Amino acid sequence: MQFQHRVRVVTLLVFLLFCSAFGAAEPGGNGDGMRDMQCGGACHGDASINETSEAILSLSSQDTIYLDIPTTLTLTATNLETSPTRLIGLFLLTDVTGHSDTPKDAGWEILSDENGGSVNYVERTLSSGQNETTISWVVRASSLGPTSFYAAIHHGGASSSPFFGMTARSLDVSVEPVPEDLPRLAADYTPPTKRLLNTPTDLTILTEYTDTLEFEWMGDDGLVRNSLVNTSGEDSWTVSLPAALQPTTIQWRVIMEGDGPAQTSPWFTLTAEQASWEVSENAVYLQAFALLFMTAGIVIILQTRYASTNQISKYDHAPAVLESDASDVDLETTVSNSVAPLPVGGLPDGWTEQQWEWYGYDYLAGKYGGGET
Amino acid sequence: MISSATFHVVTTELVVGAFSVSGLCFTLCLLVHFDILKQASWKTMFDHVAHFTLAFGLAATPFAILSGISSSPGEGMNSPILVNKMFLSMTGFGFALGCIIGRWRLGATVWSTTKSSVLHGSSGLAACGAMLLTASAGGTFTRGESLLDIFHLPYEHVILFPVLLSLVTLILGVVMLALGWRRMAVASSIH
Repeated sequence: MQFQHRVRVVTLLVFLLFCSAFGAAEPGGNGDGMRDMQCGGACHGDASINETSEAILSLSSQDTIYLDIPTTLTLTATNLETSPTRLIGLFLLTDVTGHSDTPKDAGWEILSDENGGSVNYVERTLSSGQNETTISWVVRASSLGPTSFYAAIHHGGASSSPFFGMTARSLDVSVEPVPEDLPRLAADYTPPTKRLLNTPTDLTILTEYTDTLEFEWMGDDGLVRNSLVNTSGEDSWTVSLPAALQPTTIQWRVIMEGDGPAQTSPWFTLTAEQASWEVSENAVYLQAFALLFMTAGIVIILQTRYASTNQISKYDHAPAVLESDASDVDLETTVSNSVAPLPVGGLPDGWTEQQWEWYGYDYLAGKYGGGET
Repeated sequence: MISSATFHVVTTELVVGAFSVSGLCFTLCLLVHFDILKQASWKTMFDHVAHFTLAFGLAATPFAILSGISSSPGEGMNSPILVNKMFLSMTGFGFALGCIIGRWRLGATVWSTTKSSVLHGSSGLAACGAMLLTASAGGTFTRGESLLDIFHLPYEHVILFPVLLSLVTLILGVVMLALGWRRMAVASSIH
């Protein structure tokens, strides 16, 4: 019965523990990441409690998209209503089935997002009074043919319910083969999205069919600047960027010229941040539990050592008991040692000294027919 | 529906509040024991309050830890402060657990001798201190400042054991816990 009671209590506690992880909405956001549409329905909690967002989403792209050449997809979101945190989450998707619907699943690589990452889900905090925003991804196709892109949004609102919405219609693009001799970024070139603070950055750019390259970058002020480009080999270029003294984001692009028509790359985002701090989570959890059990074990062991040797229990009245026992023993000893005085005539007939020692008083009391009655 | 972050705030307030009262009462118990506070009749009250609030804080601690993990920004433990928070909270949990188990199994005899009293009170105070440091680290992480900043605590530095050492420590701790529990069971059976 007691065991069942304990099982019930443990089950209840475990249930409550998991409630905090699975039952809570996330008005503070989930952070950028590679997420499918199902997350848009579920990251705020139970998908069944979602309300329909009134936001209007519109995706756009360049007219022509070539295989292996980066291109920009731009999402414009208008009529936005948010929670007091003013945080929205925007998705770039290639399907609406709810799973395996990221661009990566359709063979597209995300080279850069506007937050300085390379993921399909980005969060953005709107300023007060802002009800529209534009965000872009730089993507690259790895196969020819058509692809349909969708965008989705989730956000909070005046009520506690989460809101979820999608583009009314897809953006259909077709990937074409690259024309001969077109100056372009190398097909296997992946632009960096992060750089360290306080460190000058040497950016290496790999191209194909490019004779000259011009580098432009833009800071938060929106002013476009040029940087000196050095050749570091055939179709390899190096640009030195000044060190960032605080976490900032710049955007850069290159203008490539060669035998074919000049090409301008999309704006890539480069974020300056502190060196990331990494640690093995398993090692942390293991050490945390080791500390828990070690401290608890030490306390308990010492407690038993110090408390048990000096414990007072209801049976632990040793001094009184011993004293009482001692007095009883003494009395017994006194009684047994005090042999009855012999009668005037000495030992009764037939009695030995040992018999008198034990039964002398009884004899004197007349139990054996004699005595001093 | 509330977010993990809000739930974390609620649970940490419960934990910190409970542990603070507990720490205060453990201090008063020690003062009474050493006859600095000459109110021997209050000792039972302080003892009960200290252990009740400690148990309450202990019950709320797992909720605070789990909600803290789920509400931390980004993925995983990407900050030394978060790792230190985890270590401090689990250490405090261990101190509190040892203290509660000791009081439960040994009864009021934990206050019977000076050594035992000092140990028991110290473990209760250590649990309280560890939780307050955890809360301070949380304040430093979210707001960039904390009341305990005056001590310039090195939250940015992590002492991470090798996995093998952690494993040995864990096993040793479990064995000590089991042995202690067994000894307490024997002791409590004659009470």
